Amino acid sequence: MSPNLTMSPDLGKEDWDPDVITRMIFIGPGAHVSEQQVVNEFHMLDLPLTIKNTCYGSMISGKSADVYKAIEEIRKLDPAHIFTKERGFAPGDPRRCRGHRFGPREGFHQMEKEYRILGFVSEALENPKEVEIEKKKPIDVDEFKKFMNECLDKEE
Amino acid sequence: MVKIAVYPPNSLILADLLERKGHTPLVLQKQIRQKIKDPEIDSPPMNITEEDPIKGLKYAAIEVPSGVRGRMAIIGPLIDEAEAAIVVDGAPYGFGCIGCARTNELSIFLLRNKDIPVLELDYPTNQDETYVMVNKINEFVDSLEKTDKEEE
Amino acid sequence: MVKIALVSCGTEYSGIQKEIEKAANKFGAEIVLPEIDLDYIDESYEKFGFSAQSSSLKLMIARAMAIVEGRSKPDAVFIATCFRCAEAALVRNEVRRFIQNNTRIPVVTYSFTERTKADELFIRMEALATTVTRRSILAREKQEGLTLGLDSGSTTTKAVLMENNQVIGTGWTSTKDIIESAKTAAAEAFSQTDYGWDDLDGIGTTGYGRFTMGQEFGAELIQEELSVNAKGAVYLADCQKGEATVLDIGGMDNKVITVNNGIPDNFTMGGICAGASGRFLDMTSRRLDVDITELGPLAVQGDWRKAMLNSYCIVFGIQDLVTTLAAGGSKADVAAAACHSVSEQVYEQQLQEIDIREPLIQVGGTSLISGLVEAVSETLGGIEVIVPEYSQHIGAVGAALLVSGMGHRQDDK
Repeated sequence: MSPNLTMSPDLGKEDWDPDVITRMIFIGPGAHVSEQQVVNEFHMLDLPLTIKNTCYGSMISGKSADVYKAIEEIRKLDPAHIFTKERGFAPGDPRRCRGHRFGPREGFHQMEKEYRILGFVSEALENPKEVEIEKKKPIDVDEFKKFMNECLDKEE
Repeated sequence: MVKIAVYPPNSLILADLLERKGHTPLVLQKQIRQKIKDPEIDSPPMNITEEDPIKGLKYAAIEVPSGVRGRMAIIGPLIDEAEAAIVVDGAPYGFGCIGCARTNELSIFLLRNKDIPVLELDYPTNQDETYVMVNKINEFVDSLEKTDKEEE
Repeated sequence: MVKIALVSCGTEYSGIQKEIEKAANKFGAEIVLPEIDLDYIDESYEKFGFSAQSSSLKLMIARAMAIVEGRSKPDAVFIATCFRCAEAALVRNEVRRFIQNNTRIPVVTYSFTERTKADELFIRMEALATTVTRRSILAREKQEGLTLGLDSGSTTTKAVLMENNQVIGTGWTSTKDIIESAKTAAAEAFSQTDYGWDDLDGIGTTGYGRFTMGQEFGAELIQEELSVNAKGAVYLADCQKGEATVLDIGGMDNKVITVNNGIPDNFTMGGICAGASGRFLDMTSRRLDVDITELGPLAVQGDWRKAMLNSYCIVFGIQDLVTTLAAGGSKADVAAAACHSVSEQVYEQQLQEIDIREPLIQVGGTSLISGLVEAVSETLGGIEVIVPEYSQHIGAVGAALLVSGMGHRQDDK
């Protein structure tokens, strides 16, 4: 069987349990905690969880009640810089794991892109302030004509 | 607690900001989890089968491409469940489920057409715009809480 | 193992990913996804220049770019998008052209629905896998030596004998027992020459019965009809370079193959409606009491607009033609209307699924009906249609051509 075709994945009992969920934890730029600290904290909570280090932060998996409890606790470490998101597949599920199946996961590029503005979001959470932004509108036709003629005159 | 649909439905930032406020973001990954944890289906990687585009007929007619209907079978139930919605325009749509513009157009239309509060935002490109987005989301969520309490 | 890169906007969401992988596996191939990062997606999308709204189409473009730029090195490419999606169809065709113009990697395209099953994909994957492993054979442009091509179709069996780049004998019979029919057709072809089985350099087989015949006659080449028919058509029509479309309106089913430099890259086959087949014309000629060979010239003289035909259906459509005749309509107009009806129905059912490229090479028995050829051209907006000599023996010609150089039967003697 080719490595990317994973009929009937050989998953543990826990992985088939609908109440077992997986969350990804991201640490935004400028955080006051390190990825390792977050992982350590998860371990310290002493909840029945599977904890994994990843390139973006960490991933935890377990019964939903335990996972939500852990997330609540972990956020307290650095509320403005820790972000979390659901994940459909359990860690290492061969159907989605890059090691088994070639090519990036569906949501990966989305994550990559959102990560780029996480710093701004943290800033907005930490120091809330009112900001006014002027929406750009297309310029008036007469004005457009005026500028156009000016440009043309210059060329001549 | 209000069930809030977010678009894009797999957004980290939107889901996270809502959860912080104690609300339930209706996200795609939960739908996917339901599918892939069904040992009865053997259609890797996502356990989407021929049945899904057929289920999608609830949201789009038969002449609509199968990929749109298959995606609607996953996103549609989230829309059905929504009590409020936040739609981000110009978001860096990911791939996979929300990689199809037609599906996104239909989903956003269905959310707007549902009789629920909808907040529409532009995806921020700089710091100030991010402030606006976060502020608007917080205001929106607070207003939901108010109506929630009034109803009680 | 042959690596086939999947370039698609989401086969998973139509529930057919498993079918695609199953089909690839059957022919010793595996599906791979070109690995790319976010910046590369944006960069290649801009470079390519197609403003697609769907981000999965951007991903498709980037994957194609990764293949063209050599970041990803698959042996073949399978490009698939949803049937009936305009945006994806445009990107699919442009990406296909892009890969074909810039690499020598074989490509097959497909537009799928949720009903697509592995069986339908088999022939495409087989064509892809054989294009990879047998590229040197498919590159053959001239026939050499004495070779026999046998094409065992569902209704007819054809045989063609070729020598030094010339067809020297042809045979044709209806398919009953596969082996017996092949022997009958071959005997007819031999009878036009002084040769017999023992004089052959090699035998090539194709069509539904290719394996059975191949085993019985010890064929040097057993090849699916997609590559063989495409090759035979471009060889006979002298279109071995560049693009072309091969159309075969059969007695029971129809095939449309698009070809790039002699190698097929898309294909559709249908056979659910008799109104879109040669059978409709067969019925018409019987009603008109003319031989099927006379129907074509008769149709060319007529005007389809003068005959009332409200249905494509072989039952109701024929009934309409009879009514026209009863009302004093001319036989020529009725013949023209029948040809027009078949051509429109083939268009409705199949030609829409595929990007038609000029010239269109019409083959198979129905290509001899001149009225139908004219109708096809008209339906497709006046496109150039070529009917090469021996067009009714296309598969057998292709097999005889491709096997040349492979058979060395006379060397041992």
